[in-house]
Amino acid sequence: MSTTLDRPVERAPINKVTEWRFLGRSVDFWLCAGITAVVLLVQAWNIAGYPTVFDDEGTYLAQAWAIDHGVGMAPYTYWFDHPPLGWIQLSALAWIPSLIWHTPGELVVAYSRIIMLPFTAASSILVYVLARRMTMARWAAVLAVALFGLSPLSVTLQREIFLDNIAVTWILAAFVFAYSPRKHLWHHMAAGLCAGIAVLSKETMILAVPALCVALWQNVHKDTRKYSYVGFVGAFALLIVQYPLYAILKGELYQPDNKVSLFTGLKYQLTRPGSGSVFNPGSDGYTILHNWLYYDPVLITAGVVCVILSLAFRHLRPVAIAGVVLVLTAIRPTGYLPAMYIIQMLPFFALGAAGIVDKGVAFLLNYKARPVFWQQVTRLTAVAVVVVLAAVYVVPKWYARDSQADTQDLNAKYTRAVQWIHTHIPHPGNDRIVVDDTLWLDMAEAGFKPGRYDIYFFKIDVDPDVDNALPGAPADKWKDLTYIVETPYMYDNASASAIPTVFEAIQHSKVVWTSGPGGVNSAIEILKVIP
Amino acid sequence: MLAVAVLVVSIVLFSIASATLWWMMHAWRTPEVLASTTFGRVDGETGLSFTLLLPIRHERQDVVENTVQKMLESTHDNFEIVIITGADDPETTGIAERLAQIAPEKIFTVIDPAPRNKSTGLNSALLSGQCHGDIIGVFDAEDVVHPELLAHVDHAFRSERADVVQGGVQLMNFYTSWYSLRNCLEYFFWFRSRLHLQAEKGFITLGGNTVFTRRELLEPPPGHTERMKPGSTIQWGWDEYCLAEDCELGVRLSSTGKKVVVAYSPEMVTREETPDTITSFIKQRTRWNQGFLQVYKKGEWKKLPTARQRWLARFTLSTPFYQAASGIAVPIDLAIGIFTKVPIVIAMISWLPALPALLVLFFELAALKDFSTEYYGKEQPDRSHKVGLGTYIKLIIGTPFFQILLMFAALRAVWRELRGRNEWELTAHVGAHLVAPAPTKATTSV
Repeated sequence: MSTTLDRPVERAPINKVTEWRFLGRSVDFWLCAGITAVVLLVQAWNIAGYPTVFDDEGTYLAQAWAIDHGVGMAPYTYWFDHPPLGWIQLSALAWIPSLIWHTPGELVVAYSRIIMLPFTAASSILVYVLARRMTMARWAAVLAVALFGLSPLSVTLQREIFLDNIAVTWILAAFVFAYSPRKHLWHHMAAGLCAGIAVLSKETMILAVPALCVALWQNVHKDTRKYSYVGFVGAFALLIVQYPLYAILKGELYQPDNKVSLFTGLKYQLTRPGSGSVFNPGSDGYTILHNWLYYDPVLITAGVVCVILSLAFRHLRPVAIAGVVLVLTAIRPTGYLPAMYIIQMLPFFALGAAGIVDKGVAFLLNYKARPVFWQQVTRLTAVAVVVVLAAVYVVPKWYARDSQADTQDLNAKYTRAVQWIHTHIPHPGNDRIVVDDTLWLDMAEAGFKPGRYDIYFFKIDVDPDVDNALPGAPADKWKDLTYIVETPYMYDNASASAIPTVFEAIQHSKVVWTSGPGGVNSAIEILKVIP
Repeated sequence: MLAVAVLVVSIVLFSIASATLWWMMHAWRTPEVLASTTFGRVDGETGLSFTLLLPIRHERQDVVENTVQKMLESTHDNFEIVIITGADDPETTGIAERLAQIAPEKIFTVIDPAPRNKSTGLNSALLSGQCHGDIIGVFDAEDVVHPELLAHVDHAFRSERADVVQGGVQLMNFYTSWYSLRNCLEYFFWFRSRLHLQAEKGFITLGGNTVFTRRELLEPPPGHTERMKPGSTIQWGWDEYCLAEDCELGVRLSSTGKKVVVAYSPEMVTREETPDTITSFIKQRTRWNQGFLQVYKKGEWKKLPTARQRWLARFTLSTPFYQAASGIAVPIDLAIGIFTKVPIVIAMISWLPALPALLVLFFELAALKDFSTEYYGKEQPDRSHKVGLGTYIKLIIGTPFFQILLMFAALRAVWRELRGRNEWELTAHVGAHLVAPAPTKATTSV
């Protein structure tokens, strides 16, 4: 038997963080499990029916499908729009929906949303653990998870197959590792690794990495700090660098003339036309912000205020910095604001808000407190009044929106369109169908050959591979198309200038089925092209 | 086929490199671990007596004298020094006898009648009856011993009920050449970190000096005066037929469950120098590697109680050889991944082993910073050499070339072992680590 010297420390005394073990303490375990179960229940219920399927969901899922089927990083040319790690994870989880639902005629994108539930569950647990590691009280940690998972904004957006949701799970994991109570070198490396996965899942998550560095700074020990940072940065950098290395291997790091390359992809993302200021009515940014506010003004307002206040408290500061950086980026007037950008802010808003409430309650109960009975009663009453007022204001709003999310079926018309195609075009052969990405996987399932005969409308006139597969002369290529499923999204985007072939085909078509009255502004129409 | 080969090789190399990284960083895992690697606070009491063995061979008087003087400055009140020389080396024996005059009550000399290597000398001292201390310590001719070391070791023996205490050894002359920089860092990681893990896991290869052992664990059984032969059942002292007698002793003692304690504090390490030429570096490394092979073959480690420990033993003893193997395999693997037509996934997996290797390099850069503050920093007496930007660059650029040296030494060791050549190749000492540089005429010692 041999051991190293096991003795009291001679150097700087070790700052023993409260030893806190998650599984060891049953109260924490059951609280976390309970609130996570509630979040899962609310989010899973009617997940396929609400909200309306979004084109990007179909895009990411189709890319996951491409990986699963050995086609490559995407069913069409992968053009470095995003790093692929997000949908690589989706493809690894693709067996979950196909295990539960696999009847033809179901809307693939909608029922595949259950892929997001593991991410939601993991994120909820991580929010709880992080809140506790940030020294919040148990009830505050539960509050953080509730804010994070039950806000109508979350119930809407976290259900959707968005890369942001995946990135959130990983960045939360990175924060939890950075707060390692044992200040373990490998945990700090794991933090770097998780941050790398987060950024490679959705590149905008890089905005949270400075805050992560602050979190790590607060949690390392002076004697091992250097090694912790080397491990953290090393793991992060060595993972991130895989992306450009992948591009190099494909010979697509840089290509001139806007040919597909990592450089072109980055340039595209960084020079996307700005959405305008969120404060300027009429700008895209304003519309997007008000879209979010429609779902839940509470978490957004409280979150913004609280992350700013949180800057004042050491324990909350890392999360506050992440929140503030993300908010500042969102309100800069010139940049492009993606519609799902808010997803990345939600955990920081929730943690910031719960943290401030935690501080506030502690202040009300303890500031200059003396053990006088009436003083104690007054303090408790004050807390109770605030809690009741907040609950009366928030709970009915959230309840109404969440129950809407759990009951409305906004995707019925998509399902009916898919079913109509299943029954009326049983053997498509070499017919070509043009769809938006929400239906692309359903068409692949219905027998249209993916990629060249089941065509994502944005690829015609844009991806030369798709264009060349159409045999006709450039002006007559629209005649090679047989069907078009025109959704409101396609109607909005199919302009004569951007995608002339699709536009031309729509002009020469007749409606064979429609999901309801109101025309393509609100209904789905299936068109047959008449050459 | 090529793809499968790349896949398998990459994953194996990646696992090995990751394990090495894991172990190399043992001391910095948590602040608690780091704190536990240093010597404990001394309680002021001393309870044990020490015999310090100092084998010298073809040594210059000033080098040895410096060593002995330093030892005499020790704060410990109960120790003796035994200088060991060879019968074939009367000149050095003369030096030893002159040195013994400095403190005749504390310094004794022993002549090895049939000197063959360091072990025969040490064993001669054990047989001579001159070793009276409870604890036997071993030092080399050029070692700079800290005055408080013995008091700390004494304390460690008593407070930990240790059977063996290994103190830190540090090569100092990072500035001499590109390989000595890497060599210094190697020692830094080994004594600062890795050895503590080995001790914790109960399988340790000891170093050649600053090793302290309870006398009864070394001495021959009473009445036994016969020297140990290969394969003999009674084992005592140091193995005279093993080229890495220090490693062998550690393996033998820890395999039978003896408690080994490792302690490192920068101010108390024994300071040494790197081999002065690449040739002697290669010779030294070859000897160690061949010694490791011999220890592996001898199989004392098979007595370890748990399978995990036996795996650690296999892994530790074969380190030089898989190091050499990965030195060859990683570049080939990378080249196949980049230049041949394999699927992109395979190509990406092919550089997997490079990732832990790069992390090792990053950590080495961080450790170089620690090394410089601990040994040449603002608060240190010796500020003769500074670690600057150039040193970091040298460290990075030197990496692949040092790999080549290690690879060569490993292959050479296998070659020599297969040919049955196992005589000692000596390492020269020029005193490059001493603060006042000695004249550069090379002398040699074991």
